[in-house]
Amino acid sequence: MSGQDAPAKESRSRVSIARWAADLAMGGRFAVTGGRESWARTIMTAVGVGLGVALLLLASAVPTMYQQRNERGDARSALSFGNAKVKPGPDTLQLANAGTDYRDQDITGMVMAPDGKGTPPVPPGIDRIPAAGEMWVSPALKKLLDSDEGKLLRDRFPYRTIGVIGDSGLTGPTEFTYYAGISQKAFDNVRSQYHIDHWGSEKKGEDKPLDPALLLLIIVGCVVLLLPVLIFIATAARFGGERRDRRLAALRLVGADIHMTRRIAAGESLFGSLLGLAVGTGLFLLGRELASGVDIWGISFFASDIVPSAPLALVIAAAVPASAVMVTLIALRGIAIEPLGVVRNAKPKRRRLWWRLLLPLLGMALLLPLAGGFGAGGGSGSNTKAYQAAAGAVLLLIGITALLPWVVEAVVERFGGRGSVPWQLATRRLQLSSGTASRAVSGITVAVAGALALQMLFASVEAQDREDTGQDPHRAQLIANVPVSNGAQAHDAFARYRATKGVKDLLGVTEDYISDVRHSKDDPTSVPEEAITVADCPTLRELVRITSCKNGEVFLVDSPSYYGEGEGFAKPGAKVNLAYRDDGTPDLRKKKLWTIPDSATKVKPRKDPVGSERTGIFATPGAFDIADLPDPGASAMIRLDPKVPDGVEYVRNTSVALSPAMDVMRLSSTAQSDEFTVIRKALFIGATATLLLIGASMIVTTLEQLRERKRLLSVLVAFGTRRTTLSWSVLWQTAVPVVLGLALSIAGGLALGVMLLKMVGQPLAVDWTGLATMTGIGGGVILLVTLVSLPPLWRMMRPGGLRTE
Amino acid sequence: MTPAGSLLIATSLHKTYGHTPALDSADFSIHPGEVVAVMGPSGSGKSTLLHCLAGIVKPDSGSVHYNGRELTAMSDAERSGLRRGEFGFVFQFGQLVPELSCVENVALPLRLNGTKRKEAETRASAWMERLEVADVAHKRPGEVSGGQGQRVAVARSLVTGPRVLFADEPTGALDSLNGERVMELLTEAARESRTAVVLVTHEARVAAYSDREVVVRDGKARDMAGVR
Repeated sequence: MSGQDAPAKESRSRVSIARWAADLAMGGRFAVTGGRESWARTIMTAVGVGLGVALLLLASAVPTMYQQRNERGDARSALSFGNAKVKPGPDTLQLANAGTDYRDQDITGMVMAPDGKGTPPVPPGIDRIPAAGEMWVSPALKKLLDSDEGKLLRDRFPYRTIGVIGDSGLTGPTEFTYYAGISQKAFDNVRSQYHIDHWGSEKKGEDKPLDPALLLLIIVGCVVLLLPVLIFIATAARFGGERRDRRLAALRLVGADIHMTRRIAAGESLFGSLLGLAVGTGLFLLGRELASGVDIWGISFFASDIVPSAPLALVIAAAVPASAVMVTLIALRGIAIEPLGVVRNAKPKRRRLWWRLLLPLLGMALLLPLAGGFGAGGGSGSNTKAYQAAAGAVLLLIGITALLPWVVEAVVERFGGRGSVPWQLATRRLQLSSGTASRAVSGITVAVAGALALQMLFASVEAQDREDTGQDPHRAQLIANVPVSNGAQAHDAFARYRATKGVKDLLGVTEDYISDVRHSKDDPTSVPEEAITVADCPTLRELVRITSCKNGEVFLVDSPSYYGEGEGFAKPGAKVNLAYRDDGTPDLRKKKLWTIPDSATKVKPRKDPVGSERTGIFATPGAFDIADLPDPGASAMIRLDPKVPDGVEYVRNTSVALSPAMDVMRLSSTAQSDEFTVIRKALFIGATATLLLIGASMIVTTLEQLRERKRLLSVLVAFGTRRTTLSWSVLWQTAVPVVLGLALSIAGGLALGVMLLKMVGQPLAVDWTGLATMTGIGGGVILLVTLVSLPPLWRMMRPGGLRTE
Repeated sequence: MTPAGSLLIATSLHKTYGHTPALDSADFSIHPGEVVAVMGPSGSGKSTLLHCLAGIVKPDSGSVHYNGRELTAMSDAERSGLRRGEFGFVFQFGQLVPELSCVENVALPLRLNGTKRKEAETRASAWMERLEVADVAHKRPGEVSGGQGQRVAVARSLVTGPRVLFADEPTGALDSLNGERVMELLTEAARESRTAVVLVTHEARVAAYSDREVVVRDGKARDMAGVR
């Protein structure tokens, strides 16, 4: 008996597999053979799923992108951590960083010269070390230098371009960088120089842990950007659902059973999502090529860097079609497809609150223990915390979306029949079926809640980061620290700056150190020192509080940090030692003495334009000859003529002519971190894009609903319903769930934001501007959906819909 | 029956859909309180005639006079206003707003005319009682039977006190028993309120409730008053 059963079983299972395959294939055929509408629906699903897949693939490529970029960056790094200082030798290279800025563009670069006649190491991306007067440039810098826009920049590079740096020597395609060769002698005018015997960083495996705030930003950022995409994919899988249900009813009439109809629906959905997978891959490949030319916050990637991680790509390829089929089957649960038509459950099951509340509460429960302790400790513990934070944020955000359908249902149920006709039509429609609207809006909820929470975190971190620099850009806009070896060079440098186009005025300061002559037998490293600043009277007035000043005068400011008031060694009539040894310590053997004039006046310090209070001796050129200073430094505080455009660029050109590795610093009253501004902008753009994506799916859903109601709309028109009445009802129908979604997302976003701030120990601050902006965009989406729905609505209100023959 | 004293008169109506002529010089008239059945086979142009008479569709040529006013010269807003206030409509199916309860459906034309909700629903309830569907007032259209739904639709068409009621196959989706009950109630209510009824049907049984029959064939309307 059992011997007979086995083949029967096998044959049944074969039949059932064949049946499954046939039904799925039939569904696939329906996706394309139903004429224009069928294609339109399939394309809509494919594009929707495709957009989501492209974003997911891009997200899965991010780790590889950074890894490749960092590897190239490490390979060309000239800094060797933990290694002994390299001494010059026949095979070593002398280097100095020579980065500069041009308008808003950062330019990195190095000047170099071989130390000997051997074979110095060649950085990646170039064939040989540039000889003095030669340079290699990145493609982006070459383009800039060749363009009209870079005309002014050309003066800063008095080198002959001998080639373009290859991709292996660049972190990204839009990077501005160069390697220039200078003579050994030119290094005399370069401050921070060093020698290397190889290129490449040896810090592998010693990555320092990420800043907790940054780690949180990344975790929540990923959750915020990816969750709406997943929700969008789920929404896209339902496009054209009502029409499909009617077709399935027709199939039931000709003998298809319920299971068959489900398999056919799954097949149709599978086809759309597989096509979406292909579209997504195409979009990703296209986007990859386009992204290789895009520079965001100075970071760019080669197309070859943007490679999705293989396991993640496999998960996407399997999960997207599977989830599309699952969504379709779940959607079919709420309806009964009968041979005579589709019966939607007239009274859908009341939504349960308990499990919807459970999700955000679980999220909070995971986040709460991290309050104040995120980032504390390290090792595997911090990994656990990162996962805990991610899980908490995901649960909280998903919880908000799970709560939304319940909230919409609970609120619209209370509306009753009051209000105008459009309001009544809209709320009654929502009362009958709020699921579709809630599903579409849930994407907005996640995006807005997450963006709000992140904005709060940014605002707080940024506020702490943006501290008063103490600089006064009204008194001087630029500061240049010129490497000089004697006073004459300082004079010359100031004169060249004064003669530079765009420079209105200059405060030139020459400074050095002097030491206490009384401690001549002590250890030279413990001899008290004071600064000596030599400048003309107008400049001294900017540095110390003086009422009158004549050339030949000397002023003294005590340094309270070292000595008590009046206890410094630099006193009128005191002798001081000007001599210094090469290692920077006072030379106690070959002293060079100078006597502070008896007429020297004690004055109070004044903050200079850079914000620092200088102390020590302040001498006018008539009282002190700067030629007596052994190793002077020269600072030029420059006032620019606002009428001359690009004044700062002219000053930078002059600086490079003085020293090949020199740059100037811009003074600013507050130091606002560019990074945060860029991240906030990116977040804003990301959230807006998500909202628009969701808006698009809402438009599709609304149009579908309208198309289904074509005949009803015509009947309403027949008995005189105004266009405005129905237009308003569409607006309300969109607005009610969106407004509720926004309210919920604001509450959820604020809760998550507070949690995040507590986790990184930041003070509580609400970013009202961000909140208002997000709410505004949400409102914009409502209007957009309504406006786009109006023309088809009006078309469908034509009496043609009444014709049955 | 002559057009003299008629409430609604159509003369030489032409209407073509694409290359298919739906009406070809059709004439029609109806007096206040009169019930006229428009009969004819499928595709003969009955519904198009009704749509032209009601100002839903503009004829390509010809004229429609309602109470001395030329309908074809009116703007869309004016015609809509007329449909809201003076005309009522009953169709075969798909005419009730599924989201609204039955009483809200009946009250809808009044509300569109600016009547307050309470007053509109009170008047709607009275009409529903008259059409024997008061018990389903708070149910949604999806929860009531076809006959009940059609009676709700008749109540809705009469609630504004229209002077002309246009009924396009009002019993087409009902069984005979329900169909007859709907027709009895519809014609009774219309006659009581001196509402003219343009009744499009292809069923002689339904046409029997009319005072006069007009047969439409190949787009031409032929008054059967003399023939009957």
